Amino acid sequence: MRTDDHRDWKLSLGAFALGDLPAEERAAVAAHLEGCAECRADLRELEGVSALLPLADPTRIEQPPVRPPADLGARIEAQIAAESSREGRERRRRRFRLWIGGAAATAAVAAVLALIVLPIEGGENSPAQEVRFTSVPNGVSIDATLEPHAFGTEIHMYVKGIRSGTLCRVFLRDDNGRTYSAGSFRYRWGDDSEAELSSALDLSQAAAIGVHAGGRTFVAPVSGATAVVMGTDPDPT
Amino acid sequence: MGALTRERDVREAYAAHSGELYGFAVRSLGDAGLAEEAVQETFLRAWKAGERFDPEIGSLRTWLFAILRNVVIDLGRARASRPRVAEGGVEPSVEPLEQALLAWQVEEAMRRIGEDHRRVLLETHFRARPYSEVAEELGVPEGTIKSRVYYGLKALRVAMEEMGYED
Repeated sequence: MRTDDHRDWKLSLGAFALGDLPAEERAAVAAHLEGCAECRADLRELEGVSALLPLADPTRIEQPPVRPPADLGARIEAQIAAESSREGRERRRRRFRLWIGGAAATAAVAAVLALIVLPIEGGENSPAQEVRFTSVPNGVSIDATLEPHAFGTEIHMYVKGIRSGTLCRVFLRDDNGRTYSAGSFRYRWGDDSEAELSSALDLSQAAAIGVHAGGRTFVAPVSGATAVVMGTDPDPT
Repeated sequence: MGALTRERDVREAYAAHSGELYGFAVRSLGDAGLAEEAVQETFLRAWKAGERFDPEIGSLRTWLFAILRNVVIDLGRARASRPRVAEGGVEPSVEPLEQALLAWQVEEAMRRIGEDHRRVLLETHFRARPYSEVAEELGVPEGTIKSRVYYGLKALRVAMEEMGYED
């Protein structure tokens, strides 16, 4: 068999696989296939894909390819970031509540500690902090979660026991005593939800967090000599 | 890429696969808005289940398509339970979902092969025009049409394999 003949037979295999050859030519190709293992192997590959062609809709093939909107990726990232942040908060909140429960059971120890700072996720990659205000009247509890961000600090406040409708103004204070507003919220009795706030001060620069509420100011250290570090929890996952 | 747990992993996966996922979602659902919703939900589910992804079991692309398939089923059920409203754009696919995925792969593969090969396959196979007529229209010998059919099918197979198709 000459090389050129073989090539000619080979180039007919596409039309053969699709059933496009006239009967005489088809018979000739079939005869060649009897004696050519290489062409038989080639044909098997072509038949596989030829069998799929009827599935396709030619009008769809000719339509320009659709592309997702340019902002879809950013929307997905934002949703995942929000979910990530929410899940992280919930996880820390659950752990913080568990810790508070334990602390209540050991009241003698708690009485010794004037102020407690509990870093829940230690390490350089997750320096978020949980802060419990301890200098508060009986029946009142104020807790906060602080998370570092590029814009500053995200703050979640959990307040209980003060008069419903009380305006609470939150601030952060740096080492020099300068205060940075973190916004305000109004406490409603029976509302267990957290207040989400933010401040322009970096968490690494924050020395204390404060709340003006009902004519009084409550302050708890975020870092510094008065804080008692209770240790670092293992990875919450 | 290993487990899909970091936001950066999701960003890379989106850059690599969102076009295909969105294309299939539009074809299956026939609605651009629903397709966006489907792709968004797919990546959210992938991120949430990211630790379960094992690249040794299958490719990320295959895994994402498996998630999208479930999302499309869920969205299809939700849509079926709502009163039908007029929708513009592409008609939704009526094939079973597995077949729709295969059909979309063939159509996408056809779009990826060279223009000469695509045109000859469209004219001769899909429109059933004689090779001689197409050859005359294109100003080439009939043997060239036969050759383009052969190499077009070869190219189509390669494109299908790139999309994970196996015999």
